[in-house]
Amino acid sequence: MKRIAILCALTAVAFSQKAPDLSGVWIVSSGLEITADPPYKPDALKLWQEHKANLSKIDPAQYCLPNGVVRMTNLPYKIVQTPALVVLLSEGNTHSYRRFFLDGRPHNLDLDPNSWNGDSIAHWDKDTLVVDSIGFNDNTWFDDTGKPHSDELHVIERYRRPDAGHLEIQYTIEDPKALTKPFTFTRELVLANREIQERFCTDTNRLAVK
Amino acid sequence: MPDGKPDLSGIWNGQRALPGQEDPVMLPWAADLTKQRTENYSADDPEARCLPGGVPRAAPYHYQLVQTADEVLMLFEGNIHSFRQFFLNRTEHLKNQPPLWYGDSIAHWDKDTLVVDTTGFNDKFWFDMAGHPHTTQLHVTERYHRRDLGNLEIQVIIEDPGAYTKPWVINRVSTLETGIEMSEYVCNENNSDALHLVGK
Repeated sequence: MKRIAILCALTAVAFSQKAPDLSGVWIVSSGLEITADPPYKPDALKLWQEHKANLSKIDPAQYCLPNGVVRMTNLPYKIVQTPALVVLLSEGNTHSYRRFFLDGRPHNLDLDPNSWNGDSIAHWDKDTLVVDSIGFNDNTWFDDTGKPHSDELHVIERYRRPDAGHLEIQYTIEDPKALTKPFTFTRELVLANREIQERFCTDTNRLAVK
Repeated sequence: MPDGKPDLSGIWNGQRALPGQEDPVMLPWAADLTKQRTENYSADDPEARCLPGGVPRAAPYHYQLVQTADEVLMLFEGNIHSFRQFFLNRTEHLKNQPPLWYGDSIAHWDKDTLVVDTTGFNDKFWFDMAGHPHTTQLHVTERYHRRDLGNLEIQVIIEDPGAYTKPWVINRVSTLETGIEMSEYVCNENNSDALHLVGK
């Protein structure tokens, strides 16, 4: 009984500790392109070269298709945070959203085994929100230069707010089918003094609307 | 919620109109256009081209409400996998905005009902597949009331003196979805609808 009481008390303490607040409208300030080449296996490297040669014709974003989770735009993103769910809204690309589940659920790929944004579960590691995503299709790119991946992609994002005006996302990217080893890189974002605007790719893009 | 407000959070099934709803009373041009669109098998429906359904079009897909003290998010599964924001932290509509598909929504609590007031629309979207039109004068009031755990009542009041002679009130309900998550609906992925909509 005593043990249970202590456990309950510890759990209560854990829940009462306030999670850092990542809420706000953020803009990437560190550049969108991943500067170091990913450690590609030969087939993936070949695919990247093909993409680079045909960027303007095959870029999924041109057809108003989702960028996936690694590729970002220079338009603002907004984080809306609740204890059990963090939502990342995107002004650009498809004007859509990602959901990071903090309610302790395991990954669930029943509905969408291979999706554009994958399935994202998250937890707090001290002041850092750790987002773990799997269940991707192989249609998206890591950045505007066409860097590909396979459906074995596994992305770990670590969101940290070092001060009020800055957000840092550290990426660890694993993909045993496309990469010889995992690679990491970091993006920096700054707080934007505005709301995200309504912007629909399909409204202006004639390639996407037949 | 910690602030004493009702909690509307959850995944809800698409809004269904309750039986016995009134018909809208339209100005002649709006009645003619609706007739034309219906007779042409809704071939020009923007929604079939992966454009937003606008407000208050009800899609047969799930949506999720996410609630903070500052705003309520409405995340759509489909028709397009996008979102609306209801701002609780602002009492005035934005000025000098370009016309929007989802408009500008400010919200407040009237006892246990979330009242969402939206203006600033474009005139592109249809209210339904029948093709009921509107103008940029459109003003939509939505009243969200969680009657019990599993039922969300939504009263929609459509005011648009440019197209309707009196306010059009629609009463809807959404039921709580407890067994399933929302899927990632990507309209633009292989949208074969638009090619088949050839009209008469």
